Amino acid sequence: MLLSASDLQAIWLTIRLASVVTMILLLVGTPVAWWLARTCSWAKGPLGAMVALPLVLPPSVLGFYLLLAMGPNGPLGWLTTRLGVGPLPFTFWGLVLASVFYSLPFMVQPLQNSFEAIGERPLQVAATLGASPLNAFFTVALPLAKPGFLTASIMTFAHTVGEFGVVLMIGGNIPGVTRVASVQIYDHVEALEYGQAHRLAAVMLIFSFLVLLGMYAWKPRPQKG
Amino acid sequence: MELQLQLRKQQGDFSLELDLKVSGERIGIFGPSGSGKSTLVNLLAGLTRPDSGQILLDGQPLFDSSNRVYLAPHRRRIAMVFQQHGLFPHLTVRKNLLYGHQRCPADEQRIGLDEVAEVLEIGDLMEQKPDTLSGGQSQRVALGRAILASPRLLLMDEPLSALDDDLRYRIIPYLNLVSERFRIPFVFISHSLVEMRLMADQVAVLEKGRLAGLVSPEQLARQRMGQSPTGYINLLKLGVPVERQGLLAYPWAGGELLLSGNAGTESGLFELSSKDIILCKRHPDAISARNLLPCTVRSLFEAGSKIGVELDCKGGTLVAEIVPDAARELEVTVGSIIWAAIKASAFRRL
Repeated sequence: MLLSASDLQAIWLTIRLASVVTMILLLVGTPVAWWLARTCSWAKGPLGAMVALPLVLPPSVLGFYLLLAMGPNGPLGWLTTRLGVGPLPFTFWGLVLASVFYSLPFMVQPLQNSFEAIGERPLQVAATLGASPLNAFFTVALPLAKPGFLTASIMTFAHTVGEFGVVLMIGGNIPGVTRVASVQIYDHVEALEYGQAHRLAAVMLIFSFLVLLGMYAWKPRPQKG
Repeated sequence: MELQLQLRKQQGDFSLELDLKVSGERIGIFGPSGSGKSTLVNLLAGLTRPDSGQILLDGQPLFDSSNRVYLAPHRRRIAMVFQQHGLFPHLTVRKNLLYGHQRCPADEQRIGLDEVAEVLEIGDLMEQKPDTLSGGQSQRVALGRAILASPRLLLMDEPLSALDDDLRYRIIPYLNLVSERFRIPFVFISHSLVEMRLMADQVAVLEKGRLAGLVSPEQLARQRMGQSPTGYINLLKLGVPVERQGLLAYPWAGGELLLSGNAGTESGLFELSSKDIILCKRHPDAISARNLLPCTVRSLFEAGSKIGVELDCKGGTLVAEIVPDAARELEVTVGSIIWAAIKASAFRRL
């Protein structure tokens, strides 16, 4: 066997985490991107900047604040304790929440771009043909933004697979719960298990390359409006 | 259809202030770019809101700032045909056509897909995607889509300006046919005087965001004759021609007109500028112009520095323009007989 059982477990956990995060961000990121693409409000700047923060912040900074917020004395921790879930740090769902924040711009920005590219006109046409704003969103904006959704989902998934710092801050290193592939590699290196580190690193490298290759090679036919 | 507007809208440096009441089935809105035509259309469709005032369609308020009424565009049942066709690229022609139809309340649906497809000759395109259509086909599908929503009013915002010249005038009969056949009143927006005359019964003229007049298209064309570089455009319906001495003789009014051979052999609509008609007091013995028509002066009108002469040529009407000096020399008065000379190459098919 090329990969050990714990490596496979880490890969499986990584895939599970990235899938859940992508799913959540599709639901959360879409309205945010839609709003950012169409608003003229003063709040567009500040919100856009907040969404983009994870792109520039060191993961340790983001992780640190999230750790405080999710801890027993933080507002999120207080809420989750009240709800009977208990504090989130060092749990899978804590990792999910942190990754949602960390990967937010990777979902929102491509979506926002593709919503902006659609422009006002198709939605105005839909409105004059009797479609309510929500109906126009689902029947016109969503289908036209399909390439954007694909890009955003792939970027979010891949970025979540590749995260390390935030995971270490929030999740620690618990096998099967929070030990994802990137942390597993770190462990292998720390333990001087270079052979295993090589194999897992190669899997990550090939995966990331294929994802990016797929995205750059695949150019959707531009749809004339 | 009765439309009553009294509104104000500020957009940056530009302000639109209108007080207008029109009724009729074929209303035109005419003005140069920047006069507020498109702003007005967007206000009518509900895509933007006036700052204050009211908009009433057949007595129903679409917007009324004093009573806080604002009917959203999707509730107005005012369909629109845009400059660019605006077809949904992800839907087939059929699904585009049915988009508004399916969203129209069942008891208001009075127009069927097959009927519209037949009138607009788009039945063969049903399963195609919009990016495979030509400009004229796209605009016909867009028109069909708007009609199928069974709207109370159809707004056409420069629907022909994205089309080539020769295509433009081939779409106009469809526009007229459709509104007549399905009895849908429309507001037609354009900066083209010729389009106005072919499409509208009444024209609201906009200038710099204000109403400059409500006139018939014919009146408007005559008023503008003096300033227009092309003069007054005579629109002539000519019959099927026969060949004569290398020219084509088209039946018109009680006689015929000779046109150069490249004008096509079908009947059709032709334009002739008032500047291309030469008036002579007496029959000239020999003249290079191939058309020499005896006419009666029906009326005279002033337009800027020019004088318009409306002529009756065996029942057909022509408008020629002359300068006041020429008018004195020719001694034109209402009822006098005069000769109109027109070159065979002066006509242009629309």
